[in-house]
Amino acid sequence: MSEDRISDSELNALVDGELDPARQAEIEISLAEDPDSARRVARYRSQNAGLHALYDDILHEDIPPKIAAAFETRRSGVPQWAAMAAAIALFVVGAAGGWIVRGEADVEPAQQVAAGPPIDTQELMVRASMAHVVSHEDELHAVSAGSKAEVGDYLADRMGKPVRVPSLDTFGYRLVGSRVLPDTNGPAAQFVFADETGKKVSLYVRGEQADGVDITYALADDLSMFYWNDSGSSYAMVTRVDDEKGREALLTAAKAVYGQLSQ
Amino acid sequence: MSTETKRQAVVAEIPRLRRYAIALMRDRTEADDLVHDVVLRALDKLHLWREGTNMRTWLFTIMHNLHANEMRRRSRMLDVVPLDAAPPRAEAAGQEAAVEWSELSGAMGGLSALHRQVLLLVGLEGMTYAEAAGVLDVPVGTVMSRLSRAREDLRRKIDAGTQTATIRRVK
Repeated sequence: MSEDRISDSELNALVDGELDPARQAEIEISLAEDPDSARRVARYRSQNAGLHALYDDILHEDIPPKIAAAFETRRSGVPQWAAMAAAIALFVVGAAGGWIVRGEADVEPAQQVAAGPPIDTQELMVRASMAHVVSHEDELHAVSAGSKAEVGDYLADRMGKPVRVPSLDTFGYRLVGSRVLPDTNGPAAQFVFADETGKKVSLYVRGEQADGVDITYALADDLSMFYWNDSGSSYAMVTRVDDEKGREALLTAAKAVYGQLSQ
Repeated sequence: MSTETKRQAVVAEIPRLRRYAIALMRDRTEADDLVHDVVLRALDKLHLWREGTNMRTWLFTIMHNLHANEMRRRSRMLDVVPLDAAPPRAEAAGQEAAVEWSELSGAMGGLSALHRQVLLLVGLEGMTYAEAAGVLDVPVGTVMSRLSRAREDLRRKIDAGTQTATIRRVK
């Protein structure tokens, strides 16, 4: 029995998928007659599973501002946001098989500006998603209880034009802060909302004279967003969505914001 | 590949670098400081990264070297780091699972840094033995023997922890 015992290194290699298929099959067969080794394989596998259970949440955390800032200090002549946006493997879901919700969205089509250039979706999504990822509360202009008007004044002051402040209260999201960010077309505004569990939704607003665009879905890495363009501004609502239900909820919220801002 | 594309590849690895650093160092602030330094170093040395090679293992190698330097510096300063300073949060898991994982977390904290490294690279990051050997700059055989000892050590520590917990409950 002890002669047949599978070696430590082979037990480990089995767990780690390092054996060639033929040897793996042999070992799996001999495990049936070696309960001690079989138990150890099970224990090692559960150690791996436990490590994932302990630490995988970290993969879904926002990149801490300090680390994101490292990309700014090493810019090497690359436009700052382009560098930041790095993070994000960006694609718009194509009309062919995708999730473009034009028509489904059930909102009034935005007014078409005949001579307007097309909206720069790439730029909008890169900026909106990066702003979302690095929007920690301590970087935002905090909202004191119920002072939506104060937020409007704060932003209007910095953007040089009146700013409407949307509300997602009816969806259980409270406005936690806002800020002004540099953008190629002048200052852009970001609103950050959070629900009771701290889950964030943000709205990015940049000035952009373009053809009006209806609410459209886009996916950037693991961020979902609905964007649109209306009356000289482009908007992007961004959040992390992991299922269809979350996407529907985001769409509903985007429609509400669209309604509030285009009144 | 353009510099910009390479930089993108670096950013894409940040979540994994953070996961490994937090699990290894067991202190979020220190881990994020380390990842920050890795990013700076990587961006400075981006021209040295050879296209067609693995960006992840390249970054993990940089991290390993920076971490090893830091540990050497500290040992010279006799600055002892508490191993169990900050067990990771497990709020997402259910109560029972949290108890079970905290056993594992505690046991991980009791492992030597060498054992923890190899266990995390292979068991958590899913690296092959050859990749882990490259990151740690040791022969594959060393990875295998460390891994084998680390797993046995971890198993014993968890069992010991579970026993203590049972005794505590019985009392």
